[in-house]
Amino acid sequence: MSYLIASNLDEVISSLRDGSGKARVVAGATDLYLQDLPYGLVDLSALPETTVIEEKDGFVKLGAAVTHTAAASSPLVLSRARALAEGCETIGSLQIRNIGTIGGNVVNAAPAADAAVALIGLGAEAVIIDIEGNRRQESVENLYWAYNRSVVDSTREVMLSLQFKPCLGGEGSAFTRFAARRALALPMVNASARVKLENGLVKEARLVAAPVNPAPTRLLKTEELIIGRSINEETISMVEKAAAEEVEVRDSLLRCSARYRLHLVGVLVSRALKTAADRALDPGKAGE
Amino acid sequence: MNNLKKQVLIFQLNGEPMGILADPAESLLTILREKLGLYGTKAGCGKGECGACTVLLDDRAVNSCLVPAGKVQGRKVETIENLSQGGKVHPIQEEFVEKGAVQCGFCSPGMVMSAHALLKENPQPNPEQVRVAISGNLCRCSGYKQIEEAILSAAEKM
Repeated sequence: MSYLIASNLDEVISSLRDGSGKARVVAGATDLYLQDLPYGLVDLSALPETTVIEEKDGFVKLGAAVTHTAAASSPLVLSRARALAEGCETIGSLQIRNIGTIGGNVVNAAPAADAAVALIGLGAEAVIIDIEGNRRQESVENLYWAYNRSVVDSTREVMLSLQFKPCLGGEGSAFTRFAARRALALPMVNASARVKLENGLVKEARLVAAPVNPAPTRLLKTEELIIGRSINEETISMVEKAAAEEVEVRDSLLRCSARYRLHLVGVLVSRALKTAADRALDPGKAGE
Repeated sequence: MNNLKKQVLIFQLNGEPMGILADPAESLLTILREKLGLYGTKAGCGKGECGACTVLLDDRAVNSCLVPAGKVQGRKVETIENLSQGGKVHPIQEEFVEKGAVQCGFCSPGMVMSAHALLKENPQPNPEQVRVAISGNLCRCSGYKQIEEAILSAAEKM
C-alpha cells in the first residue's frame, strides 16, 4: 500500500489515472487504511474545498472530507439539518469522529451508516467528478450498489461534496438510533426523518430506516400515509405500525433478532418523525 | 502513484519541530513507537477500538493506529510524553494516581490524552461530557468511575 496526501484536485485525478484501477480515494481513511489492500490510497482531505461547510445558493453544502466532529458541532448543521449533527455525533468513538468523514461514511456504504442515514433523510445529493473530468450529481439514496458497495467507484471517481436544502420555516429533521452501547457500537436500528408542516399538517415527509436492506431505505408507504395529517398521538402510533409493516428484516447475530428489529423500526421512525415535527413547529428547538 | 515510498514528514511533535524520513502509509503509532522511541503511547487493539494509542492531532484526540503518518504533514502532534514538565507530572496524571484511576496502567496514557484533549477544549466539563470524551477508551481493570472522578477533579485543580 502506498499513501499519498494530495494537495489539489488535479493531483487526486492524475494519481487515480496513473493508478489505473489500483489507486483509490480516501478521506479519513479510518475504514480502508486497516484493510491493507493492494491499492494506493490517495487522500483528499488536505484539499481546502473538501472541508468547507456553508450555506450557498439555497443549499447547505459540506465538503466530502468534513469530519463527523466538524459536522456534529457546526452551528449551520445544528440549526438547518439537526438530523445530520445527531447522526454524526454517534458514529464510532470521539477519536474516530475526529478523523472519519461524512463522504467516507457514504462511499464506504455500510448498510446503517449513521451519517448516510441522516443525509438520505435530508434528501442530500452528492457532487461527484470522474477521472475524465465529468461532473455529476446523484442523490445519496441512489449511491448504494450492494452490501457494503457504493455506486461511487473510488478508483475512478471522487465525491467532492454533499448538499441538501436547509430545513427552514415549517421544516424539521431528526435522527435516532439504538445500539447495545452508547459508543463504539453498531446500531441495531437507526432512522431519520425530515418533515415539512403547513398549517400544522404534513406537507412533505421523508422517513428512512436502516439496516433493513443493504442500503438505508425510504419508507415510501408510511411517508404517503402521513401526508395531510397532523403529528398527534394517533399519527405517531399509526406510523409505528406502518413503518414496521413496510420492512422485512431477518435475525442477525450482529444486530438483534428480527422481531426486536421490527419493533425498533416502528419506535425509532416514529420518534424521529415526532422530534422532526416538534422542531418544524418551533424552530427555536432546532438546535436542541 | 509515487513509487518512492519514503518521504520527509515535517510536523510539530510535543512543541518541537520534527522531520523524519518515513513511509506515509505507516501508522502514526508505528512512527512514534518504533521510529521515535516514544513508548508512552500504547499499541492495543490496532483497529481503533480500545483507545490505548490515543494522541492529539491538532489538539483533537485520535487513534494513532488509524492515522496514516502522511496525515501529520504540517500538523501538530502531542503525545503523553509532553504532559509532565520540569520533572513534575501533569495535574491529570496526578489525579489519576490520587483517585485510584490506574491499575494495570495500560489504558492510562490513552485515557489521560483523551482527558487532556477534553480539558483543552472544555476546561469545566460536566460528568456526561467526561464520559463522552473517554467513550473511545477501554479500561478492563480499574473501572471508569475513578477515571471520571480523576478527570473532574483535575479540571477543578487546573
